[in-house]
Amino acid sequence: MTLATVLIVAAALIGIGLYGALSQQSFVMLMMGLELMLNGGLLAVIGLWANTMGGAPEGQLLAIIIMAVMAVDMAIGFALVTAVYRKRQADVTESLTTMKH
Amino acid sequence: MTTFLAALLLILFLSVGFAGAAVADRAIPAFLAGQTAPSWRLSLADAVRLLQTQRIRTEAPDALLWWLAPALYLALAIVGLAVIPFGQDLVAIPSEVGIVVWGSCEALTIVAVFMFGWSANAPLALIGAYRYVAIGLPAMLLSMFVLIGAALPAESLGFIEIVEAQRTVWNVVRQPAGLILFLMLGLAISLRGPFDYASPEDLAGGVTADVSGPGLLAWKIARLTMLVSVSAVTATAFLGGYLGPILPGFVWLLLKTAVVLLVLIWAGSVFARMPPARMMSVIWTMLLPLSFLMLLVVGVELLLWG
Amino acid sequence: MGLTDLLFFALSAVAIVSGWRVFATDSMVRASFLLLLSFVAVGLIIVMLAAPYIGVATVFMMAVEMMVMALFMVMFMMNPAGLNPMMMVHQHRFSIAAGVLAFAGLTAAILFTSFPENSVDPSTPVVHDLGIELLGPSMLIFETAGVTLLATMIGSVILSSRSGRFGMADQGSKPPGLEPDGEPAGRQPEQGGGHHHH
Repeated sequence: MTLATVLIVAAALIGIGLYGALSQQSFVMLMMGLELMLNGGLLAVIGLWANTMGGAPEGQLLAIIIMAVMAVDMAIGFALVTAVYRKRQADVTESLTTMKH
Repeated sequence: MTTFLAALLLILFLSVGFAGAAVADRAIPAFLAGQTAPSWRLSLADAVRLLQTQRIRTEAPDALLWWLAPALYLALAIVGLAVIPFGQDLVAIPSEVGIVVWGSCEALTIVAVFMFGWSANAPLALIGAYRYVAIGLPAMLLSMFVLIGAALPAESLGFIEIVEAQRTVWNVVRQPAGLILFLMLGLAISLRGPFDYASPEDLAGGVTADVSGPGLLAWKIARLTMLVSVSAVTATAFLGGYLGPILPGFVWLLLKTAVVLLVLIWAGSVFARMPPARMMSVIWTMLLPLSFLMLLVVGVELLLWG
Repeated sequence: MGLTDLLFFALSAVAIVSGWRVFATDSMVRASFLLLLSFVAVGLIIVMLAAPYIGVATVFMMAVEMMVMALFMVMFMMNPAGLNPMMMVHQHRFSIAAGVLAFAGLTAAILFTSFPENSVDPSTPVVHDLGIELLGPSMLIFETAGVTLLATMIGSVILSSRSGRFGMADQGSKPPGLEPDGEPAGRQPEQGGGHHHH
């Protein structure tokens, strides 16, 4: 379990997440892609913290911030999905060709 | 070596606790109804009957998850119990973040119950799973605040430090309401009585409505094991865990767990279930602020006299 | 190759394969469970990397998040049970290329960078250090995250509440006309949004 292998796993998760976020039509699946990218980011941050920072606590703090970002992403994302669904009964990105109404 | 001993004690604790829970689960409702307690053999007979019962199938279930859900539930109960210390260094999985591990077990339990209800692909099971998630998530949330209140005097998230910090005074004295809130979570997480929104009678069994035979037996076993685990966590976090004179710590923990377990089964058969919507507003508007208040009280107490 | 390495590769394989299956499964609920599995594997790797609090907290948080996600799946989305094959993608080739390119680029960057070697000492009280850091030197950052979460809560309640500015959201919530009984003000979406059945 070297730093390089951990970071490559993180890179793979980010790659898959990017594919998902770009390719999925459904809002929730799109958010899953974003979450997967953040997952990879979290792993990379902790991998770097554990192997290059000698245990300085700021690295863990950054991981906590990433987790807060995940929570914000989920909450606002679902609120937006709810708002769009209320308005248009739509759940795919293609139905949002106009941002008004 | 101590880890090995702790693992053996864990197995002993689980078997004794499970047998006791299985007997008490029948004896207490009978006692409350004024009948004589049925023989312990009845539980065994029931298990054998379930093993031989024909398995029913719903239309297009998710068979893998349907089988996995009881196993996950049981595994979570065992992992949750494994972070509980049986003595000063006697713990099967020593973890400095024991409370968070237990919290993850709680959260994943809700996932397991949802999985079980959803994978049956049947309406009543899905409604039960939905209601359970709606009630279970906020109940789990407030249990975490209560547990943080228990961790504050110890200045640690590990269960050993939490027990050691109770040498002067048990946490139940510091936050009596916390104990009651945590018992509510115990009812919710072991699918029991007033918090059993997953498999209530008004949904014809909810998540278990379309399960029969060995699957149902596995689910019931997991449920009783979780009851033992949550009782042990309550005893550790609020009643001083393994602390006690003369007898070894393991026996004290077992006795305290037994008391909590009996209280839980009693509460499960005495209190009525509220409609889910009303229960939700009670949890979010009354119990959650109460748990914040308890946290504040413990904090102020520690600041002034800690 | 020790037991740690073996465990690490097994967990990495689980994390990556289940992460990929998220976008290849037919049922959206199953997809969220797979994503949860990926997160649990990553959480365990993080625990192995000497950050027990972050790892276990990841599992805790993601269990709750994925539970909520699965609920929304069943509520809003079609085909939650996965009874029909499902492939809802756009710009598929481009996305695959972007994903592969991102992976290749990051891997190249990782392989051609020389990182400083300064591993965390196993005896460091990392959880204790994190607590002191959160409520000591970095308290402002931590509190900012807290305020951000509060703003998120308010924002999501406002966004998702049923009563809009011009009445109930699901009854149109149309703005009043510019003259009495006239057309509602503002631009109209073409053929009332897009309700697709799949």
